[in-house]
Amino acid sequence: MRLKILACVIIFVILTVAFSTSYTTVNIDNIAVVVAMGIDLNTDGTLKVCFQFTNPSSISENGSSEQSSSIIKTVTSTSINSAINVMNSNIGKELSLSHCKLVVFFEDMAKKGITNEIYTLINNAQIRPSTNIVISKCPAEYYISNSEPLLENLISKYYELFLNSSQYSGYTCNATIGDFFDKMLCNSCTPYAILGGINFQLPNNTNDAFTTIEANSISNSSNLGGKTSSENIGLAVFNKGSMVGELNAIETLSFMCITDQINGFLITMPDPYNEENYIDVYLTPTRKTKFDVSFVNGSPFIKLDCNFKGQIYSMTSESNYLKPEVLEDVSNACNNYMKYIITEFLYKSAKEFNADIVGIGTHSLKSFLTFDEYADYNWLENYKNSFFDVNIDVNVKSASLLSNS
Amino acid sequence: MTNTKISSIEAIMLILTIFVSHTIVSLPQNWISNQKSAIILNLIYVGIIAMLLVYVIYRLFKNFSSLDIVDISEYLGGKTLKNIIGGIFIGYFTISASILLREFCESLRVIFFPMTDVIYIIIPFVIAMFINNSVSFGSNVKTISIVLPLVLFSIVFLFFANFENFSFERMFPILGKGFFNTFILGLGNITAFGGISCIYFLPPFLKEPKEFKKICLTSIIIGLLYFIFCVSTILFMFSFFTEADEKLPLYFAARHIEFGVFFQRYESLFMLIWILEISCYLMVANRFSMNVFQKMTNLKNTKYLAFIFPIIIFGISLIPKNYAIIRFFEAQIYSYLILFIVFILSIGILIFANLKKKKERELNAS
Repeated sequence: MRLKILACVIIFVILTVAFSTSYTTVNIDNIAVVVAMGIDLNTDGTLKVCFQFTNPSSISENGSSEQSSSIIKTVTSTSINSAINVMNSNIGKELSLSHCKLVVFFEDMAKKGITNEIYTLINNAQIRPSTNIVISKCPAEYYISNSEPLLENLISKYYELFLNSSQYSGYTCNATIGDFFDKMLCNSCTPYAILGGINFQLPNNTNDAFTTIEANSISNSSNLGGKTSSENIGLAVFNKGSMVGELNAIETLSFMCITDQINGFLITMPDPYNEENYIDVYLTPTRKTKFDVSFVNGSPFIKLDCNFKGQIYSMTSESNYLKPEVLEDVSNACNNYMKYIITEFLYKSAKEFNADIVGIGTHSLKSFLTFDEYADYNWLENYKNSFFDVNIDVNVKSASLLSNS
Repeated sequence: MTNTKISSIEAIMLILTIFVSHTIVSLPQNWISNQKSAIILNLIYVGIIAMLLVYVIYRLFKNFSSLDIVDISEYLGGKTLKNIIGGIFIGYFTISASILLREFCESLRVIFFPMTDVIYIIIPFVIAMFINNSVSFGSNVKTISIVLPLVLFSIVFLFFANFENFSFERMFPILGKGFFNTFILGLGNITAFGGISCIYFLPPFLKEPKEFKKICLTSIIIGLLYFIFCVSTILFMFSFFTEADEKLPLYFAARHIEFGVFFQRYESLFMLIWILEISCYLMVANRFSMNVFQKMTNLKNTKYLAFIFPIIIFGISLIPKNYAIIRFFEAQIYSYLILFIVFILSIGILIFANLKKKKERELNAS
C-alpha cells in the first residue's frame, strides 16, 4: 500500500514538473492574441511583419457599446519566425496565432512569390487552415491599421464576419490559407487570395456596353464613399506561389458562380426592352456547375453548364412581368449576360494569367489513366491553350412583390 | 490470461484496434504518397487478398483448435522453435508499440506541448500501460469494446463532416502510378492488415471457437471499410498529401471541420478519442507480449511482467534520436517486418505444422 502511495506521489510530481512549463507559457496572462498579421517586403529583402493584437483590457472595461481598440506593432526581420521571436521579447508575452483570422501580404511581395512564407505559416501548428489570406494593394501594415470595424465592436468579430457577404454578393471570396497551400502544391489547379486595399481616390472606373460601373470595381478603386477603411473586392490570381493578376468584382462573381461558392447574387444588365436602362435580377444557382473536359489537337476543350433561376428586383412604371414572353426575354438577356461574363473570365484566366484558379484541371484527371501521363501532359502549362464552350440556362420566374405596373 | 474468454464481438474489436491505431498516426499518408490516386483501388485489391489469406489462416488453424501460433511452433519444432517464434513476436509487438507510441507522442508534442520534452508525454502512456496490465484481460477487452466504436464513429464523422470539401475527381487518374505500381508493388500495402497478427493468438481466448472464421472475415471487412473512409477523406480533401509530408493527416482533416462560427475546433475532441485508441493498442501489444513470455518461461505469476513490458516499450521508444528516424522506420522497415512476421513466417509455420499433422495421421493410419 505504501509503495502504491509513493508511486502515485512520484508520478504526480514528475507530471507537475514536466507540464508546468507548458502551463506557465500558455497561460492567458502570458500570451498576446494576434488577430491579424501583415507581411511586407523591404527593399533590402527583409520582411516587415505587422501584428494586430486585441486589447483585452478595452474589451472588459468598455462594455458592449463602445468600440474596443486594437494594438498594432511592426517588426523588421529576416523571417516570419524571427519576427515572432523579436515581438515576443518586445512585448514580454508569447504571441498566440491560434486566433489569427487574417494574413495580409503586400501586392509587390506577392508578385515576387510568397511560397516560402506560406510554407512557414502552414508549418506553424497555431495557424488554422481557415485563416483568410489577403493580398493588399497597399502595404500590409497600412491595410491592417485601416481595417477598422464599422458596425462591430471587436476587430476579431469583424474579421470573422467580413467575408460573409461573399455568399450573396460574389464580389469577393472566402480564400483561406489552408486552401491556398493545397492549391499551391496541386498540379491541376492554382491558388487565389482575397484582393484588398484602401481607397483614397475618387472612383474612375469605366463601364463597357455590357457591364456596369460597380461590376468593374476593384479593391483600392471602388465606388465606395464615406470614412476610409479597408475594402475587399476582387481576387488576386496566383500561379504556384506568385501573383500573376487580379480579378475585378464581376470576374470574381463569375469565378464564384462556376466554383459553386455562392448562394445567390444580383446582376445588373441592360434592359432587353430599353438598352439605355438597366434591370436588376437576382440569380440563384439551381445545381452545381458541370464540367466536361476533352482534348482537341492537344488543347483542352472545356464545356461548362450552369443553371440558375432568377427573380427580377428592379421595377419601372412600364414593367410588366406577368407576361410569359417578357420573362422569356429577360431570361434570354440573362443567359447572354452570364455567358458573356463567364466566358470573358475564363479566357482571361487562361490567356492572360495561365492560372487555373477554378480547378478545371481536376475535372480533366479522368481523361488520363496514370499519374505519369498527366504529369507529362503538364496541365498547368497547357491551360493557356484552352478554349471554352459555356452553356447557361437561366429561368427567370417572376418579379419580386410587384409583378405589374 | 488464457483463463479469460472473450466473445466474438470483443475479438473483432481486438483485431480492429491494431488496424486502426496505425492509420491515426501516418499510414494513410504513406499509402497515398506511394499509390497516389489509385489508393482506393489498391486498398480494395489488397483487402480481397487479405480476406483470402485470412481464410487460408482459418483453414490452417482448423487442425489446431484452441492453440495459438506459439503452441503450434512448439508442436512443429519443439521448445527451440517455440522460443524463437515467441521471441520474434515479443520483439514485433514491443517494437511496433514503441515506434507507434513515439511517433504519436512526437505529433502530440508539436501540436499541444511544444515546450515539453517528449519523454514527459510518453510517461502518461506508460502509466496507463502499468494500470491496464494490472487489471484483468477481460477488463482490457471491455475497455476496447467501448473505445473502438468511438474511434470508428470519429472517422465516419470526419468523412461526412468534411464532405463539402471533397473533390471526388481526385480519385483519377484511376491507375495512379501505373498498373505495375498499383497491383504488383502495391501488394506491399497488405501490411495495412498487420492486425492479422492478433488472429494467431486469439483461438485460446475465444468463447465460441466455431465463430473463428466469422471473426476473421468480419474484422477484415470492417477494417477495409475503415481504411477506405480514412484514405478517401485525405485523398478527396487535399492534393498536397501526394507531395508534402504532414504529421497526423487525419488530424489535419479534423481541423477543417466547422459548423458555422460557433461549432469549431473539433480536432481536440478527435485527439482525445485517438489518445484512448493508442492506449488500447498499447494495451493489446502488452497483453500479447506478456502472454507469449509467460508461455515461453512457464511463469505462473505475471504480476511483475505488468511493469517490465511497459518499461521495455518506454525504453525502445526513446531510442530514435529524432522524428526523421521514426518516419524512416515506420515507412521503410516496419512494413517489411509485418510482411515477414505476419504473412511469411507465421503462415509458413502453420503450413509446416499442418503437413506434420497430416504425416502423423498417415503414419497412424498405416
